[in-house]
Formats: sequence, structure tokens, C-alpha cells
Amino acid sequence: MNYKLRKLKNIVILSLSVGATGIGLFFLGFILYDLISKGFSSINIELFTVDQTPPILDDVKGGLRHAFIGQIILTVVATLIAVPLGLLGGTYLAEYGRHKRIGRVISMLADISVSMPSIIVGTFVYAILVKPLGSYNGFAGAIALAIIMLPVITRTTEEMLKLVPWTLREAAFALGASYNNLIVKVVWRGAATGIFTGVLLAIARVAGETAPLLFTSFNNTQLSFDLTKPMPSLTVSIYQYASSPYSSWINMAWAAALIITVAILILNLIGKLLINWRYKS
Amino acid sequence: MKTEHEIVLETKDLNFYYGKKLAVKNITMQFPKNMVIALIGPSGCGKTTLLRCFNRMHDLYKGTKYEGEVLFNNENILSKETDATQLREQIGMVFQKPTPFPMSISENIAYGLSLKGIKNKTEQKDRIEKALKEAALWDEVHDRLDKNANGLSGGQQQRLVIARALAVEPSVILFDEPTSALDPISTSKIEELISELKSTVSIIIVTHNMQQAARISDKTAFLYLGELIEYNITDKIFTTPDNELTERYVTGRFG
Ligand SMILES: Nc1ncnc2c1ncn2[C@@H]1O[C@H](COP(=O)(O)OP(=O)(O)OP(=O)(O)O)[C@@H](O)[C@H]1O
Ligand SMILES: [Mg+2]
Repeated sequence: MNYKLRKLKNIVILSLSVGATGIGLFFLGFILYDLISKGFSSINIELFTVDQTPPILDDVKGGLRHAFIGQIILTVVATLIAVPLGLLGGTYLAEYGRHKRIGRVISMLADISVSMPSIIVGTFVYAILVKPLGSYNGFAGAIALAIIMLPVITRTTEEMLKLVPWTLREAAFALGASYNNLIVKVVWRGAATGIFTGVLLAIARVAGETAPLLFTSFNNTQLSFDLTKPMPSLTVSIYQYASSPYSSWINMAWAAALIITVAILILNLIGKLLINWRYKS
Repeated sequence: MKTEHEIVLETKDLNFYYGKKLAVKNITMQFPKNMVIALIGPSGCGKTTLLRCFNRMHDLYKGTKYEGEVLFNNENILSKETDATQLREQIGMVFQKPTPFPMSISENIAYGLSLKGIKNKTEQKDRIEKALKEAALWDEVHDRLDKNANGLSGGQQQRLVIARALAVEPSVILFDEPTSALDPISTSKIEELISELKSTVSIIIVTHNMQQAARISDKTAFLYLGELIEYNITDKIFTTPDNELTERYVTGRFG
């Protein structure tokens, strides 16, 4: 009786969860299918070699070179800002602040800000770096992305450093090392793959962000290397092109969306593979 | 055994506290140079605690307190003036579980060398080879010095850790149950190694293995509840101990 009841419960719960997973996978597959079928045919060489052209000129093929390059610049600058800060912050949390209340509080705040809506970051940076300067600028965009990356990198660094056994630190102390020295030479070294993975995942996290850029770096119709001016980016261009009435722009938006999705998938895949390779073997 | 043997390390009325808990009680003993001294006693009697006083490992943790003196080369290393990092270059330590650093075999040894200020590559190379030979590991690893040390077997890792400690030429090496995580063959290799090493360094070893203490040590100290119960030549401790507790422990009737 009791056994039958449990078995029944088991079957119900199992089918519910399989069903839920199925629904999720169905829509994921649907999106990917749509993306590939509409995006793939619009990928051509001009997409990467030509900048934006007016959509009315049907005989001139336009592209998104400016947006690809702008996206890369924004991401690289954001990474250069977020990695050192996140590395040092995570090191503080895992090492010097390991047993301090302040360490736990910061850790918890970082966890909360990981799930903070990115549009809030966008408006915040708008308020401090766009409004006072009087112009959208690439630097503000990079800062906004860096703010989103920072808690991710900080927390992964913290977790990865904590995975390095305490006995290794004691062994380095026993050789006459100072704490600073052994953190840099032994602990970071042991956690390097994990920290690198965290950085990759943080980049993947911001690669698809539109909202924080819309308020900060905005967009630019031309290739620009000037961080004090508005800077083009793929995500904002996709947003703009997709909501335009021109079919050539809409097709380009599909192509760009497919490329960005694949790039994010690849980053995540590399991250997962690195984790498997480093921590499962 | 000569009585006028030179002393390398000496404790005088040493007490050690974890917070309020007194874990090492009033220990006074001398460690002669170039000998293997074994510390034995039931679990929790304070062997590790005593051992870690000698390289001031307890300094890393809050709420720990030493009382009394530990004399090393006639200087009290518990005094405020002692630089713990310098002390640890002279008094090395090998732990129960092998602790290779996440780097190559040669880098593991080079790390200790550069801490000591030896940064010249050719000198490092010579010292790495010398230390690996002393630790009886050279033949097994000489063709893969740049491979990650985590790829070695447990016994090889432990000998690498010993080589790492030897490379900085300490005068004492502290061993805390160095073979309890190893198989019998690796264990006997390490025991053999320890017996050979005492011509160059003095050795203090904590062990739960009575046969091991009897095989490799010159003198043995029996601790119980944080106190030094009996300390004498190893043969005497294992054949005709003075104290009844010692006798009961070494004959396996408690512990
Ligand atoms: N960090 C610590 N804080 C508080 N008490 C401790 C701490 N470490 C050890 N003790 C206590 O100090 C006493 C001595 O412990 P110690 O580890 O030195 O024993 P041991 O002889 O090495 O034992 P074992 O053979 O099990 O390794 C024990 O009662 C133990 O509970
Ligand atoms: Mg112990």
C-alpha cells in the first residue's frame, strides 16, 4: 500500500519534471532553429568587412564591421578593468577576509549583485558617467560591462581559491614563505584554470547584454576607436536593426544574433570543458 | 650513546594553549643533533601540537599561546624578536598528507630556493638535482622534472616534499606521521631515507606506528595527555621502560 503510493508519487513527479524539461528544451530548440534558419543565410563576407550603410541604398551591401569591432573593444576594456579588481577582491574574500564578518557580507552582496538586472547598472552608469559628461561614450559602456562582470569574477576567484587545500598554504609557510608570496606563487597558480574559467564565463555573461550599453556607449554608425565618443556594439545594433522597417537591416540583425549566440555558446563550452578537465580528472 | 652529545633543540617548561585549552604541559626535553627522535603517544596527546611549536606554526592561528622556552642554537625562538619565516628555513616540516605545490617537480624545489634568495638558475638546477638525489627520487623523475608534481604517486610526492625541505639545507626536519597515508613499500623507502638523512640533519618524527619508531629512531619520547611521560633511548623505551604507562602503550595494551 505504502509502497504503491510511493511508487505512484515517484511516477507523477518524474513525469512532471521530464515534462518541464521538455518544454524548456522545446523552446530552446525552437529559438535556435529560428535563429539558424533566418540568420545563417544572411551571413556573408560584407557583414564583417563593411560598416553601416543607409538602408535605402539597396544596391550597396552594408555590414556590421563597426559593431563587431566596437563590441570587442568594449569587452576587452571591461575585462581589463574587471579582472584585476575581481582577482584582488576574490583573493581578499578567500584569504585575508576568510574568517571575518566583513568578508562574508561582501561575498553575500556580490552574490546578490550577480543577479541584479543589468538595466539598473546601465542607468547607474548613465547617471555618473554619461549625464555629467554630456555625451554617450564607450568608456561608460565598458564600465557598465565591468560592473556586471566584477561580482562574477570576484565570487569565482573566491571559490576557486578556497578549493586550494589549506595544507598547501601551511606547507608553503613551513618553507619560510610569507602569506603574500605564497598567495601569488602557490595559491593563484593552483587556482589559475578555475579563475580563467570564471573570466570566460563573465565575458559570456556580458556578451549578450544590451540594456547597460544602450544607456552608456549607445551606438555609432561608424567604426570608432574613441572611448570618449559613442561606440557601436553588436547587441545595440541588433536591437536597432531588428526594430527597423528595412528588410536588409532585419536580416543583418538575424545574422549578428546567430553569431553572438554561437560565440556565447562556445565561451560557455570552453569554460565547462576547462572545469571538467581541471577538477574531474 | 654518548651523554655529551651536542644539542640542537631544547624545550624548557614549555606550555602551549589553544585558547584556554592547555595542550602541551610543562615539557622540558633536549633533542641531540644528528639523531632521529620519535614522539609517540595515543591520539590527542599533543604530539602534533608539540611538533608545531618548533617552527612556530601555531602563529598562523588566533588565540594560541606559548609559555616557556624553545631553544634553537641557544636562542629562544619563542621570543618576539625571532623571525618566524627565517626560522622555518632552518627548521623544515613534512606533513602527513603529501603537499606538492601545483607546479612542476623542479619548480616545487625551486620555490623554496628562491624564498631563501637563491635565484640563479644554474645554482637552482644543481641544488634541485642534489636534493632529489638525497631524497632518493632522482632516478625516478630525472627525465620529467618539468612535469606537474601532482602526477607522481603518493610515495613519490612525499619524497618530493622531503627533497623540497632538504634543498634549503635546514638543520632540523619535523615529520608529522609522514608515512601514515602511504603503502608499505613507499613507507619503507621513506624510513630508509630518514635513517640516511640523520647524518646531515636532525630529525623529529611523530608516529603512530610503534615498529616504525623502534626501527628508525635513536631516542623516543612518550607523551600522554600533553605531558612528557618518558624520554629515553629507543631500545630502552621498547624493552624496559621505567614508567608503567609507557610499557602499557608500547605493548599495545592501550592507546
Ligand atoms: N586547533 C585546535 N584548537 C583547539 N584544540 C586543539 C586544536 N588542535 C588540537 N587540539 C587539541 O589539542 C590536543 C592535542 O592535539 P594534537 O593534534 O597535538 O594531538 P596528536 O597527539 O597529534 O594526535 P593524533 O595522534 O591524533 O594526531 C587534543 O586534545 C586536541 O583536541
Ligand atoms: Mg597529530
